[in-house]
Amino acid sequence: MPRRSLWPPLAALALVGLAALLFSVTVGSAALSLADVWAVVRGEGSPLARTLILELRVPRSLAAFAVGGLLAVAGALMQVLLRNPLADPYVLGLSGGASVGALAAMLAGLGGAVITGSAFAGAFLSTLLVFGLAHGTGSWTPSRLLLTGVVVAAGWGAVITLMLALSPAERLPGMLYWLMGDLSYSRTPWPPLALLLLICLLLMPLGRSLNVMARGPLQAAALGVNVRPLEWTIYLVASALTAMAVTTAGSIGFVGLVVPHMLRLVLGNDQRLILPACALAGGTLLVLADTLARTLIAPEQLPVGVITALLGVPTFLYLLYRSR
Amino acid sequence: MVMTISTPAERPSSVSISASNGRFGGALGPAVFSGASLALALLGPGVGEARAEALCATDDRSREICLEAPATRIAALSPGATELVYAAGAGEKVVAVVAYSDYPPEAQEVQSVGSHTRMDLEALVTLNPDLVIGWMTGNPPEQLETIEALGIPVFYIEPRDFESVSSAVERLALLADTREEGDRVAAEFRDGMAALAGRYADAEPISVFYQVWDEPLMTINDEHLIGKVLTLCGGVNVFGELSRLVPRIDDESVLAADPEAILAGGMGEENRQWLTHWEQYPGLTAVAQDNLYFVPPSLIQRPTPRLLEGSRLFCEKLDRARDKR
Amino acid sequence: MSRLEIRELVIDVPERRSGQALSLSIEPGQVWGVLGPNGAGKTTLLHTLAGLRAPRAGQVLVDGRPLAALGRRQVARTLGLVFQDRQDGFPATVRETALIGRHPWLSAWQMEGGEDLQLAEAALARLDVDHLAERLVSTLSGGERQRLAIATVLTQAPQIWLADEPTNHLDLHHQTAVMALLAEQAAEGRAVMMCLHDLNLAARWCDHLLLLYPDGEACWGPRDAMLVPAALEALYGQRLATAEIDGAPVFVPVR
Repeated sequence: MPRRSLWPPLAALALVGLAALLFSVTVGSAALSLADVWAVVRGEGSPLARTLILELRVPRSLAAFAVGGLLAVAGALMQVLLRNPLADPYVLGLSGGASVGALAAMLAGLGGAVITGSAFAGAFLSTLLVFGLAHGTGSWTPSRLLLTGVVVAAGWGAVITLMLALSPAERLPGMLYWLMGDLSYSRTPWPPLALLLLICLLLMPLGRSLNVMARGPLQAAALGVNVRPLEWTIYLVASALTAMAVTTAGSIGFVGLVVPHMLRLVLGNDQRLILPACALAGGTLLVLADTLARTLIAPEQLPVGVITALLGVPTFLYLLYRSR
Repeated sequence: MVMTISTPAERPSSVSISASNGRFGGALGPAVFSGASLALALLGPGVGEARAEALCATDDRSREICLEAPATRIAALSPGATELVYAAGAGEKVVAVVAYSDYPPEAQEVQSVGSHTRMDLEALVTLNPDLVIGWMTGNPPEQLETIEALGIPVFYIEPRDFESVSSAVERLALLADTREEGDRVAAEFRDGMAALAGRYADAEPISVFYQVWDEPLMTINDEHLIGKVLTLCGGVNVFGELSRLVPRIDDESVLAADPEAILAGGMGEENRQWLTHWEQYPGLTAVAQDNLYFVPPSLIQRPTPRLLEGSRLFCEKLDRARDKR
Repeated sequence: MSRLEIRELVIDVPERRSGQALSLSIEPGQVWGVLGPNGAGKTTLLHTLAGLRAPRAGQVLVDGRPLAALGRRQVARTLGLVFQDRQDGFPATVRETALIGRHPWLSAWQMEGGEDLQLAEAALARLDVDHLAERLVSTLSGGERQRLAIATVLTQAPQIWLADEPTNHLDLHHQTAVMALLAEQAAEGRAVMMCLHDLNLAARWCDHLLLLYPDGEACWGPRDAMLVPAALEALYGQRLATAEIDGAPVFVPVR
């Protein structure tokens, strides 16, 4: 792993990601040929084609890419901290906490950055709950971790249902997508993209410390890692990533589980490679999943969370089976 | 926990505005309601005609929407909106509808752009509409905002009373330049409802329970359009005082209220199975007097001119119940 | 100056109300053995000396400076710890595992370089696991993992070695090889302290001994002063027979 340069796999993933983005921009319920797309890229094309591509498809695909990247990186980080490949922001209830936070802010009539901040608070609270309860005095066994996560997630689910039941009718259409992630409602892709880039840069110098952390906090401390500050950094970063993903597209499950798992099989466990690779591959996966979601039974639109869950549940069960 | 709430699209007959409000337990947003009716009150009658030559009309979010030319390609984003546009005489201009837009029958031939909760914006934009009729409490606000950002005017409608149904028809007719037909339909509805109101002004009160849905058991309060129809016909809604627009109740509360008549919508147009459920309680006055009535939900649950027909049916059923006294 | 100085140190063993304060100095070149029955606090002592847990009282000085005042990274450059238990996180190869020993020596942005790789390869060869370099750690036997753990600390190249039962799982040949490696580290001017269960290895390879009693009492000093059969029998609550081979004492438990 060391000695081997990080760039070839990352460059390959970036190319695949770019191809997925291009694909998603050329495919849709309105038939546009590659030539139409190319014309738009060159600044020409019909006004309709320009609207379809520049106003609808490109922002949505970029939002999908950003959200997928955020979730995959969040999942990879939590897996390192828990030393358990089953960790995922959705499974462990971070997404649920973020949804509750965002919904509470919406119900209070707040908007914009307050919703994101409130979502962050919800995700962070979940993180502390899961880590605090699952850690306890003993070690993190998979079953203990999962039970904690599942219960926390179920609790948030109940709170969301309660909030939806109590909320005024005119707010509902904008709220339902918190339950099953959906990119139909996402607007500007820039905040999540910016956060993804920022976090990747922030994590780069931490990569080797995370590698050591993956071997347990005692071993990490003995090798010179400041364990507590690093753990808190990861809690905060994972919560921020989840919160931004949730405020952009609701709670999309299993991206944080499937993507790191696949990448570790192929690329090994060097976090310096895995984390940026997760950002790229997670983005690619969600772009493709969302393309499916909006074209599969068009004009009816599926929430993208359905597609990721269909991919994620078998992966999760397989991992759970293997971990015994 | 994710799957416990079904969307209206999964339960076709609940797609109409009133029922889906209830499905999600929504109390009528007082702000929206009073906002819309306040605007109407301030602008007085003929609100839609304020500046006819400029083709401007105020929507139910109190925003003035102006068109340079009459709308020729209209997208109606709820089954109710579709009905209203057709009623306004602009049916031929409808280029896009959403799922379950089944009335009038020719609306089923128009291209659908998905469900009202998750529209295929691409398909919508491709149809190149010059006016979109949005459903304030049914369509996702994010998507409606995106449509407006693309430069397509969105006219929000959300009729909460009889007058706003006729006014919606008039305003849509104004924007589509089909005022002759629209004004006629609106006037017909307005006059019809006024005639009913006159006839039943002094009718003997009769206690009624209206069943919106069976599982969970749901009814409506007096604020609801259906509740207003009940009142109009001289009925006394036994759950009219409840605070939620579409309250969830249980059998026990129906037994306790002991209504003289039970009216129910239902799954389809010819379906009485919800009513047979009550026959297991022979002690209920409504059962003892055989006052269990089915009213086709499409006539009563959408805020459209068909409400007049639904209201007549309602009043007729209540008359039959009175006759059995 | 002592490599490692322990001043009035009381380790924090849960459920033990008091313990004797330890005060001793480990000089360059010395090999200390820590003996004691299960639960006497041997591992706790090593972890306390490595700064992984706080003492109940007293102080640890590394090269004359208080351990608590040093950053983790600086400690890791001076002091290496061979753990008794290891957690397998994600799958990793033997070479990758040895290379994490270089962590304290590299800056945040630095990748492991050729020199680091050479150190790791040399350590793997020294512990006789170089032929396993590409294998996943999870496929190794217990003894191979133990040797890998020691190779990792060798890659870390600390001046102070703390080893928790370094001969665990090892066959006789590798036990001797590992003890010889630790003795060699001391001979090159480093300091070594290890917990041992094997009295005979302690008698053969250590020059100082620290006896930890289950009640928190302790005594320490040069090996020959400590290897008193009566004291050792009291330490373990076990009768011992003593013999002498090549001028060194050999202890055998008897019924």
